[in-house]
Amino acid sequence: MEPILLIIVVCVVLGGVLASLGVHLLPVGGAPAAMGTATGVATGTVMLMLGAAMCGLFTASSVAAFSDNILLVSLSGAIGAWLMMGVTMLVANVVYVFGAGVVPVAGRVEVDPITRQLQTPYKTPQCDGHGVPNVCYISGMAGALLGGFGGAFMYFALLNYAHFEATAAGVIAMGIFVANAIIAAYNIGGTIEGFHDPKFKRLPKALITCFVISLFCGVFVVMAATLGGLI
Amino acid sequence: MTVTPAVVEEEEVEPTKGFQIPPDITQLGIISAVIAVITLIIPGLPAVVRGIGLIFALLWGMDSVRKTSKYGLGTGVPSIGVLAMGYGIVGALLGIAFVKFAEPMLGSFSTVASLAGVLLMGIAGWVSGVLSNHEKVIGMKIPGLERGMMELGLAGSLAMLLQFSIVAGSLNFDIVMEKAISNGLIAVMFVLSMMAMFHPYNACLGPDERRPRTMLCCVEISGLLCLVLGIALAAAATSAWGIADGVSMTIFGAIVWLVFFVKFVRMTMQEAYSTVGTGMIKTIE
Repeated sequence: MEPILLIIVVCVVLGGVLASLGVHLLPVGGAPAAMGTATGVATGTVMLMLGAAMCGLFTASSVAAFSDNILLVSLSGAIGAWLMMGVTMLVANVVYVFGAGVVPVAGRVEVDPITRQLQTPYKTPQCDGHGVPNVCYISGMAGALLGGFGGAFMYFALLNYAHFEATAAGVIAMGIFVANAIIAAYNIGGTIEGFHDPKFKRLPKALITCFVISLFCGVFVVMAATLGGLI
Repeated sequence: MTVTPAVVEEEEVEPTKGFQIPPDITQLGIISAVIAVITLIIPGLPAVVRGIGLIFALLWGMDSVRKTSKYGLGTGVPSIGVLAMGYGIVGALLGIAFVKFAEPMLGSFSTVASLAGVLLMGIAGWVSGVLSNHEKVIGMKIPGLERGMMELGLAGSLAMLLQFSIVAGSLNFDIVMEKAISNGLIAVMFVLSMMAMFHPYNACLGPDERRPRTMLCCVEISGLLCLVLGIALAAAATSAWGIADGVSMTIFGAIVWLVFFVKFVRMTMQEAYSTVGTGMIKTIE
C-alpha cells in the first residue's frame, strides 16, 4: 500500500474526529433557547456546525488556490469557522440581551469556570440558563476552531493528495463532515453548553463512533480516487 | 371544553385515496429499491424514466427518516436527512468509481458496478446505526435505527447516482465529474434531495401525522427537484436524446410538482377541518 493512501485516510479520520470534538464544544440551545429559557444559540447542532464548516471551507478553498502549505490552509479554514461562530454567538447575545431582556447565564454550573462570576443568582427560576455567557462563548470559539481546522484539513487532503477537483473535494469534505457532526450531535442529545456541561463527559463514545465512520469514509474515498484513476 | 384524545380522532379520519398500494414500510422499501435500481442500471434511458426512479428513491429515504425520527432523535428531524445525503455523496462517488473500474470488462453494462458503491455505503450506514444504538457506545435506544441508517445510506446513494445519470447522461466517472460535480450542480442536488427526505416529516410532524399525506409532500419536492434538473439538462444539452430530454424532464417535474402540491394542500385542509382538539401528544410504545 502506498503511503499517500494511508495519509489520505489519516487526514479524513482526523478531520472527522475533530468535527466530533468541535460539536461537543459548541453552545447549542435548540428549541428551548429560541424562547430564551436555555443557554446557547437557538438552533440545532447540525446547522451551527455546518454553517461554521462551510465558512471554513470557503476561506480554506480561497487560500488553497494559491498555497500548498497544509497548515496554512487548515488554519485559514479554522479562522473562517471561528469568525462565523463568533458573529453568530455575538448577534444571538445582542438579541437575547436587548430583545428578550435576559442576562446571559450558564445553567449547568454555579460559578463560571473561567471568569469566576456567580451564575445561579441571575438565572430565572424554572429556566435552564439564558443566552451565551462568557464560558460558553470561549468554548464555542474553541469548538469552531477545531471543527473548521478538521474540515479544512480533510479538504486539503482530498484536493492535493487524492487529486479531486476543488468542487468535488469541497462537497465530499462537507458530506463526511456532516455525517460525523450529526453522530456527535446524537451523542449529546441535541443540546450542550460547552466543556463545563456534564454531557461533555460522554465525548469518548462519540469519538469512537466518529473514528469508525470516518475510517469507513476515508477508505471509500481512497477507493474512489484509486478506481477513478485520480491517484 | 372536552379534549378529545388523539387516538380516537385519528380513527375517524377516512382513509384517503391514492398511495394505498404499498401498505407497509418494508414493501415500499423493496418496491422503491427495485424501481430505482432498474432505472439506474439500464444504460441510455431518457431522463423522465430516471426521474421516476429518483422519486421512488427519495420516497424510500423519506419513509426511513419518518420511521427513525418518530421516536425523537433529540436533534430534530433535519439532522438525519442531512446524514443520509452526506452518506449519499460518498456512496455515489464510490459508485461512479466502480463504474470506471468495470468499464473495460462489462462495456455499456458497467453501470451495474455502481451498485457496489451503494451496497458498501449501506454497510457503513448499518455500522453507524449499530454504534449509535449500542448501549455501550452512544445508546440512542431507537428501535430499528440500524435498519433505518442502512436504508438511508442506500437510498441516499441511489438518489445521488440517479441524479448524476440524469444530469451527465451516463455514469462515466470523468463525464460525471465534469458535467455534474465541478460545475456546482451537486450543491443543488444535495440541498433539494435532502429537503425531499427530511422536510415532509418535519413539516407534517405531530399527533395527526399520516403517512400518505407525508408522502405527498415528498413527491411534491421530488417534482421540484426534477424540474430543476430538467432545466439544467436542457441548458447543458448533454443527453444523447438531445434537448427534448431536458424539456420533457422539465415538463414532467412541473406537472408532478403542481399536481402533488395541490393534492397535498387540499388533503391538509380536509384533515385539518375535522381536527378540534388533539389532546396530549400520543406516546409511542
